[in-house]
Amino acid sequence: MKSKRFINLAYYLVALPVALSGKLGLAADDKVCLECHGSNQQVADAASAMDLKLTAERIERLVKHPAEPGNAHTGIACVDCHPKASEIPHPADTLKQSPCGACHEDALKQVNQSAHRDPLGGSQLRAPCWACHRAHDVRSVKDPGSAMAPVNVASRCLACHAKKEYLVGVHGQAIQLAGLDVSATCVSCHGSHDILAPSEKGSRVARRNISFTCGKCHGRVAEAYRKSAHGAALTANDNPDVPTCVDCHEAHGTLDPALPKFRLASPKTCGRCHASEKIMAKYGLSTQVYSTYVADFHGTTAELFRAASPDQPLNQAVCYDCHGYHDVESVRSSGDAQIKQRLLTRCQACHKAATASFLSAWTGHYVPSPTKYPLIYWVRVFYRLVIPGTIAFFLLYIAVDIVGRRRIRRSS
Amino acid sequence: MSAPGERIRRFGRRHIVNHLVMLVCFFGLVLTGLPQKYAGEMWAKGIVLLIGGVERVRFIHHVLGTLMALQLVWHAIEVAWLQLVRRSAMPMVPMLDDVKNFMRQIKFNLGLEKRPPRMDRYTFAEKLEYLALVWGTVVMVLTGLLLLYPVRWTSLFPGEVVLAAKAAHGGEAILAFLSILTWHFYFVHIRHWNTSIFTGKLGAEEYAEEHPLELARLRRGEEPSPAPIQVWRIVVFLAVTLAIVLGVVLLVAWMRGSAAGIEVFKVAGTS
Repeated sequence: MKSKRFINLAYYLVALPVALSGKLGLAADDKVCLECHGSNQQVADAASAMDLKLTAERIERLVKHPAEPGNAHTGIACVDCHPKASEIPHPADTLKQSPCGACHEDALKQVNQSAHRDPLGGSQLRAPCWACHRAHDVRSVKDPGSAMAPVNVASRCLACHAKKEYLVGVHGQAIQLAGLDVSATCVSCHGSHDILAPSEKGSRVARRNISFTCGKCHGRVAEAYRKSAHGAALTANDNPDVPTCVDCHEAHGTLDPALPKFRLASPKTCGRCHASEKIMAKYGLSTQVYSTYVADFHGTTAELFRAASPDQPLNQAVCYDCHGYHDVESVRSSGDAQIKQRLLTRCQACHKAATASFLSAWTGHYVPSPTKYPLIYWVRVFYRLVIPGTIAFFLLYIAVDIVGRRRIRRSS
Repeated sequence: MSAPGERIRRFGRRHIVNHLVMLVCFFGLVLTGLPQKYAGEMWAKGIVLLIGGVERVRFIHHVLGTLMALQLVWHAIEVAWLQLVRRSAMPMVPMLDDVKNFMRQIKFNLGLEKRPPRMDRYTFAEKLEYLALVWGTVVMVLTGLLLLYPVRWTSLFPGEVVLAAKAAHGGEAILAFLSILTWHFYFVHIRHWNTSIFTGKLGAEEYAEEHPLELARLRRGEEPSPAPIQVWRIVVFLAVTLAIVLGVVLLVAWMRGSAAGIEVFKVAGTS
């Protein structure tokens, strides 16, 4: 008890003159602040002198380390942002309102319009400046040590947003593992101060804008997409059903499309929409494209191959080998002869000796019927009748035989 | 009439080996074929995983299919020898008598007739199975070859024929598998536990029940002796055999022609 009182006394002996001199404006120099906030020990001592119980984390946060080279705010004093810190003991909230806005007016204006703005319209931002830029060790984004350097962006955003799959996606890995800083970070697609929710029209990741956002780096691909059956429908009338880049490639866990895994999973990707009655009915498209693909040789192999070795290269045709991917066209946009000609070229890419008569070895997703591919249809009908007929005949005979044998056994 | 426990020779080594090879081929082909027909099903994927991937499944399927096709060729040569050179009867070929026996057996089973039909070396059930086996193997081999070399065959037929062959290959497979599970299993596993195709011998009691005519002949010592071998008949047989073998070799050579192969791993794609 005695020692505690002594420390208390000592605290006021130090703090009082500091406080008085602060009032006189002497604290523009951070030296005074650092007398308490210079190290963990100092903060701990000061806290116990004030009968405050602080956790180790809290202490750590109250330490103001000396500015390192690269810190953009070396010329700014503690009290510039913490004006009320000149009162001793410090009041609950030493920070002034919107401290960054004093210099970064434009940035603050943008944040105030963004998804991170104060929902009540005040200055309590959902994500305050220091959530992304750090409070004290603020650096230029070009500085690799900056919290907003490409390699660090994800860790800041992921602190609030549960999108960890970005780290294993092709973009995240390019940055984290390959050190490829030009690869996409969160802000490359979502924007920074002006970030908007995807549901908002002006958002960089709104359906209509995604191809342009991806197109910043993937220009030719995005252009081909906008001319495709999918992209054109989106541009023309905001079609809600067509896929954008992220529907096939995933927004965050983007899989490297050159990986065998992507190729093997691709029929399922297309099938998500093209096997859905709800979506396809609107456009009069067949929902049997996926099942007919799996029933055919290529699809059967792909399906079984995927089951056993999902990450090995597959040499069977998948949807996009025939239909194209970014430039996918509607089969209605070209005539029958043209389709056949192009299909033959495709077949010959693997089946060198294929001729025009080889083309009908694939029904073009049609289910055989009396009018379309009748030969296949009738063979199927034949077996659909002969199999149950034969087996029923066998079973019937066997039943009669069993009856007969029981009768003999009983009589003998 | 017959001593208890007496076993009478029914099959020779040729029959036993033939059946064993057919048995291994048949079930191997079913096991590796069904997952390909029902690729979307979980059990199909499970079988593929157990075997070790679809390529291995196909490899086994092709090897066993080839073996079965060779068995068919072998059987053709065998028949040619027995017919042309030894001039023996063809006890496995179904005749009108078999239909009559079949009707009589049904009547007997239903109690409409006092005695069961007396059958010879092969019952109508066995003959029906032989007919189905030969027919089924021919269909499976021919359609299988179409599926194995689709590009080659489409230089003769429209591509639709390949897909029709695929439908027939799958349909015939199911038919054959279910037939074995019902007809064959009933007659040789349930009706009697008949191991004669493995041991070569059948119990005298069962012999008397199923093949009374043949047994009576055997008891009388009337073994049909093969005709004496004549040189000109051997020459004809050799000519037929040569024609069969040459036909098979030419067919295989034509199907495997260099242009029929596919470029592996060349993946087309633009955009």
